[in-house]
Amino acid sequence: MQIKAEELKFVYGKGSSVSSHALNGVNLLVEEGEFYGIIGKTGSGKSTFIQHINGLLKVQKESGKIVVGEFDLTDKKCNFKNLRKKVGMVFQYPEYQLFAETVFDDVAFGIKNFMPETSSEHTTELVQQALELVGLDYDQIKDKSPFELSGGQKRRVAIAGVIVTKPEVLVLDEPVAGLDPKGKREFLTLLHSLNKSFVKTVIIVSHDMNVISENCTKVAVFKDGKVVLEGSPEQVYGGNDIIEVGLSKPVTQNLIDDLNKVGVKIDSGLSVESFTDSIARVFGGRK
Amino acid sequence: MREVSFGQYYPSHSFVHKMDARVKILAVIAYIVAVFLVKPFYFLGFSACLAFVIIATAVAKIPFLKVLKSMKAIIFFIVLSAVLQLFFNSQGTPLWENGFITDAGLYNAIFIVLRITLIVLGASLLTLTTSPVEIADGIESLLYPLKFIKFPVHEFALIMSIALRFIPTLLDETDRIIKAQKARGADFESGNIFKRAKALIPVLIPLLISSFRRADELADAMDARCYSGSKNRTKYKKMKFSYRDLIGVIFTAGLIVGVVMLNGVLGVVV
Repeated sequence: MQIKAEELKFVYGKGSSVSSHALNGVNLLVEEGEFYGIIGKTGSGKSTFIQHINGLLKVQKESGKIVVGEFDLTDKKCNFKNLRKKVGMVFQYPEYQLFAETVFDDVAFGIKNFMPETSSEHTTELVQQALELVGLDYDQIKDKSPFELSGGQKRRVAIAGVIVTKPEVLVLDEPVAGLDPKGKREFLTLLHSLNKSFVKTVIIVSHDMNVISENCTKVAVFKDGKVVLEGSPEQVYGGNDIIEVGLSKPVTQNLIDDLNKVGVKIDSGLSVESFTDSIARVFGGRK
Repeated sequence: MREVSFGQYYPSHSFVHKMDARVKILAVIAYIVAVFLVKPFYFLGFSACLAFVIIATAVAKIPFLKVLKSMKAIIFFIVLSAVLQLFFNSQGTPLWENGFITDAGLYNAIFIVLRITLIVLGASLLTLTTSPVEIADGIESLLYPLKFIKFPVHEFALIMSIALRFIPTLLDETDRIIKAQKARGADFESGNIFKRAKALIPVLIPLLISSFRRADELADAMDARCYSGSKNRTKYKKMKFSYRDLIGVIFTAGLIVGVVMLNGVLGVVV
């Protein structure tokens, strides 16, 4: 599914004295299959934008449009339930949304809502798949209370609860915040493996430039409710515009820039692997 | 969620805002007493109360719409009590033949609607002009005499101000959890009342758990800064009785006298 926003605007507290303009005409195109990164300072409109993608925030009158696959969200007849089934949304600290008595019930919540006719065998199958996808042992965990799990396990259960209905688009708001380095790595591996299965498009909001530059195929930079920079990580981080927006560059880009200053030209991508390969190539001959 | 006006402080530097919180609390209590003093059928008393609120709002420089908005939260309650009075009051004579709406029922319905409306208007004026911290301080100071019967006044006031402080936080949290569950297909808008109540469970349980977590964190934070109750605690802002408060007291006393007079001493029935 393609996601296309045109001149999308949004005002909080419209008409009141404390209204604030969160989006001021966002133009964005996310093609199917992309691992899309959204960055920007706090209050730049990132969260407001992603909440439009599955209709949690409705497009206001005369405020542009957004089309997700076959769903035109400005259309009054838009079926938001079907849209939300196809667009999974993982909020910041998703572990705080757990509520059921057992892990199984919590993960099955989405199935009950989106596909009420599902047989109990099929439900079991889907829940088992989802829990195994996020790296949890189904038999061991299914009857536990979600509240007796560790923080990392809780987050996995919460994510299983989102992907259990096999959304085609997965939107994540700061998914790695509060995870330790190992948890972070595992989580990103999980996202990539999901991206190769039923999830076709991943959209991720993060403040961690290294996470974005290493994983995303495309990046959009938000500032004051607008997209001010867009392109591949190399394009976005290569110039100095990103610093002017008030963000920073990933570690690898900083190293590339510094080496450039002393006359060593490195032709490398922004992932650590690609960078070390290039370094080896450049310096390899001068042992 | 964010549009709840009842109890939201409206910052300003008006005459009423600068009054002593204790005086304002007592004035509101006196005002509520005055509203209750108005006898049935003596609607002039209500006009006196309304005038009191309108003057106070004007002096506080608060937009009237803002005060009226506080009615939104309890409109259901008002309509319910009016309907109950209208249809279930068996006293008085029916307004038309074989009808079950009686004249007494109609009068009572109007009377109750006016009474609740006026009370809410007055009470919301207090919270609009007085910050939660000031209210808690005011109540603590007013309850001070209870200390002599070993009532933990300071702790009581602290619990109250913490509760007030966390209302906006919990509203934000509710908003977030509702969105997260909506994204998983939860439906809060359709179905009958039981279905809707049940649909709220996935919101209420996470909310309850996060409240406990917040309480724990707050307790730790207070412990870490060696917080220890009321003993020898000083206040950043001392409450002082000023000329403003004297004017407020006179004005409120005037209302009570006015209502009692209009209650038949003058012999006027409207």
